[in-house]
Amino acid sequence: MIPKELGRYSDLFSDYTELRVQENRSNSIVVVNGDVMSNSKSSSSGVSARTYRNGVWGFVSAPEITDDTIKKVIASATRNAKFLDSREKRGGKPLPVTLASGVKDYSTSLPRKSQKELIEFMREIDSRIVDMFGGISARTTWLRLLDMEKSLLTSDGSSAYSMTPRSIILISLTMERDGEPIELFDAYGGFGQYEDVFATPDSLFEQMDRQYEHLRRKVEGIYPEAGVKDCILDAHLAGILAHEAIGHTTEADFVRGGSIAGHYLHQEVASPLITLVDFAHMALGKLCPVPVFIDDEGTQAEDAVIIDKGVLKQFMHNKETANLFHTKPTGNARAFSFNDEPLIRMRNTAILPGESKLEEMIASVKDGYYLMKPSNGQADSTSEFMFGVVQGYEIRNGKRGKALRDTTISGVAFDMLKTVTAVSDDMKWTCSGTCGKKQPIPVGMGGPAIKCKVNIGGK
Amino acid sequence: MRNRRDITKYCIDALLKAGIPKAQCILRDSSKDELNAEKGEISLLRTTNDTSLSLTGMIDDKRGSVSINRTDAESIDKAVREVLELAESSKPDSANDISEMQPSEEFQKGPGEPDLDLMYDRITAFLDYSRHTYPTLILEQVILDFVSKRSFFLNSNGVDFESRHGFYGFMAMFTAKEGKESSSFNYSGFSAGSLDRELYEYGSMDMLMRKSTEQIRTSHFPGKIVGDMIITPDCLDEFLSAVAMYLSDHSLITGTSIYKDSLNELIADPQLTLHSRPVSDEIASGYFFTGDGFKAENSTIIENGVLKTFLLGLYGAHKTGKPKAVNSGGAYMIDAGKHSLDEMIESVEKGILMCRISGGNPSENGDFSGVAKNSYYIENGEIMYPIKETMISSNLGKVLKNIRRISSERIDFGNEILPWVQIGDITISGK
Repeated sequence: MIPKELGRYSDLFSDYTELRVQENRSNSIVVVNGDVMSNSKSSSSGVSARTYRNGVWGFVSAPEITDDTIKKVIASATRNAKFLDSREKRGGKPLPVTLASGVKDYSTSLPRKSQKELIEFMREIDSRIVDMFGGISARTTWLRLLDMEKSLLTSDGSSAYSMTPRSIILISLTMERDGEPIELFDAYGGFGQYEDVFATPDSLFEQMDRQYEHLRRKVEGIYPEAGVKDCILDAHLAGILAHEAIGHTTEADFVRGGSIAGHYLHQEVASPLITLVDFAHMALGKLCPVPVFIDDEGTQAEDAVIIDKGVLKQFMHNKETANLFHTKPTGNARAFSFNDEPLIRMRNTAILPGESKLEEMIASVKDGYYLMKPSNGQADSTSEFMFGVVQGYEIRNGKRGKALRDTTISGVAFDMLKTVTAVSDDMKWTCSGTCGKKQPIPVGMGGPAIKCKVNIGGK
Repeated sequence: MRNRRDITKYCIDALLKAGIPKAQCILRDSSKDELNAEKGEISLLRTTNDTSLSLTGMIDDKRGSVSINRTDAESIDKAVREVLELAESSKPDSANDISEMQPSEEFQKGPGEPDLDLMYDRITAFLDYSRHTYPTLILEQVILDFVSKRSFFLNSNGVDFESRHGFYGFMAMFTAKEGKESSSFNYSGFSAGSLDRELYEYGSMDMLMRKSTEQIRTSHFPGKIVGDMIITPDCLDEFLSAVAMYLSDHSLITGTSIYKDSLNELIADPQLTLHSRPVSDEIASGYFFTGDGFKAENSTIIENGVLKTFLLGLYGAHKTGKPKAVNSGGAYMIDAGKHSLDEMIESVEKGILMCRISGGNPSENGDFSGVAKNSYYIENGEIMYPIKETMISSNLGKVLKNIRRISSERIDFGNEILPWVQIGDITISGK
């Protein structure tokens, strides 16, 4: 438990300063072929201060949360900023003032489960794989819990406390074909503490059955024909596309660094069917997988509408880039750990649903692919992307055909999004995503299915 | 308890007293001084201090681990109670164990303190150099840091190690841009025990910055071929990480590794000799002991194409019945080959110079594919032009066997020393 209120330290600020006290708590249980390979808990807590002076920053952190340490950290951060200012003499403008306050505690109200109960839960999942799924040659189940608890005070007067939990189970199943391993993994759970996310093991069974069935078909699967094809990208692929290929190019620090999106503001960059938003905390009336109400610079987090009906509308900002771009900060400044400085990070990036029905979209494809799950993805400042695809099917004459073995898709996102001819009317979130940009950070990615032309790898 | 050794002793005693017969404690204090630049301007001086105290206990072959970043007695006592709860909650596994008694040892490497003024001067000179030498280059992010670590390892078998380690680290990420046209981003970095020369002189930094300025205008790779790929030292690290994955605990325990039955077998062309040398004087970073409590030694993973060791830890070795590695991997070095890079390029009829791969994780069977970034088309022994939207695909097992040539030139990154490697039979397809 960290102190929820830091107001008593405000007198120690001389320049613009953020004071943050934070604790990250995690729990990891890994069961490999029935053996508990990892059974560990960790906590990491401390205090940090970041100070801005004439265009440069000083940041200092320490692992103790005491009055004395907090005072020293604020003084040292100020000293670091002064050191740089004395050398750089940048004469930068003051940062925009933002004022927000609030408390968002998403701790469970249910009695906490013991580690023994968590291990029993995971072993029950493992037993079901053994009992129900024939032909599995290797299996791994991984429970990954993370609580991020933060208190913030800024010299602008913002104050915030949040406890944002995430609970994920990853299941990897492997079967063999002619002695060659073929794997399919899936992620379960998302926002909330374990007790609120995983009621009983049988709540996972339906999705596990689907995962096994997809793997069974993948074992008999084929490699896709390489080339540019009509494809239906299901929600999880649309989500990673939104995050990796469009989202990153529209983070204002990347725009400053030369991202191609810097040239496209207020221009048509996608089909008019595409609206893409980085949601702060609520989307379509529901809480997002990674709700951010006040960011780590004390700015009220607002949705960033990046593409509106095909037109690039805005970038994501922290206070410093908002100054440089003569606009408002959007509340995207986030830090992962107490000893990390806030960076511009996405929160919950998604393409909005359209009006088409998924089955009708599949029926409209004569020769193409229905691509369902990504492994990982990377994109460039040019919006050129590459995603691994681990689950998908061929489409022949409007009907789902054989399953696909692992493949990749690639292209230039701002070109590819112009080929979108249909967007489904449903929406799914990927709640297990972690984005890497100097620091890791949990993110949500979501979307409907989209019909487009995309370059598929083949073998 | 201010004395760090006393803290680790207190932890082991507390774990034993709690009824945990096999106990292990790792205490790490770290500090980092970091200068950051964004878009070619110094923007942040970041100083961080942290502590990590990891306690592991085993009762009746059941294991539990707790990691905290506090060292006061109350926090330690709570962590000990949690280790007990976790271990008692787990399932017995006879593969769980702690390292056996080894002679106590203290290790030391690198400077104890950063020279902050020198760091400032070096990064300023680097920004100036880039601005004047490569005016089209945007330095998106530049980080120069100094990391100081002090670590203690104790276990209930009497293992007692202590290390002090300090080194500088540098990373630059950049894009070249003219008007609306830009290169793909690229990045490189290095580790060093001192900053005795300008930052752009280390590793491959200057070469990559220069190449980015050539990559603003790219063309498509012509058609689809099966040809040669010359992997640069920067890009080679991605391939080595994938090889290491197949040699490590999880892949071998699940039996999914493509190399599970290949110890002492030929898995690569005989030109390839790959070492892991974490305690070499040539490596500025590295480590002195493994996380499971063994003094680290240098090793040869692949010798003249033959797999000589897996990268199994104590648990993985017990679980698989295969030999434990003498280190935890990393700090890779590949022996220099007999051919100059120019000779290698001249030998390619059609292929690519692969400078960065944007790729998915390889499948369990070794298949992989990815987009060639910051890369070049080679035809009739000449580098023709930088390429875009070019996909490569192959199988990792075949890549090692299809090595055609290894360069005599190597790049010293301070944490790895790697050559250029020419691979045959790669599927390369343009748009």
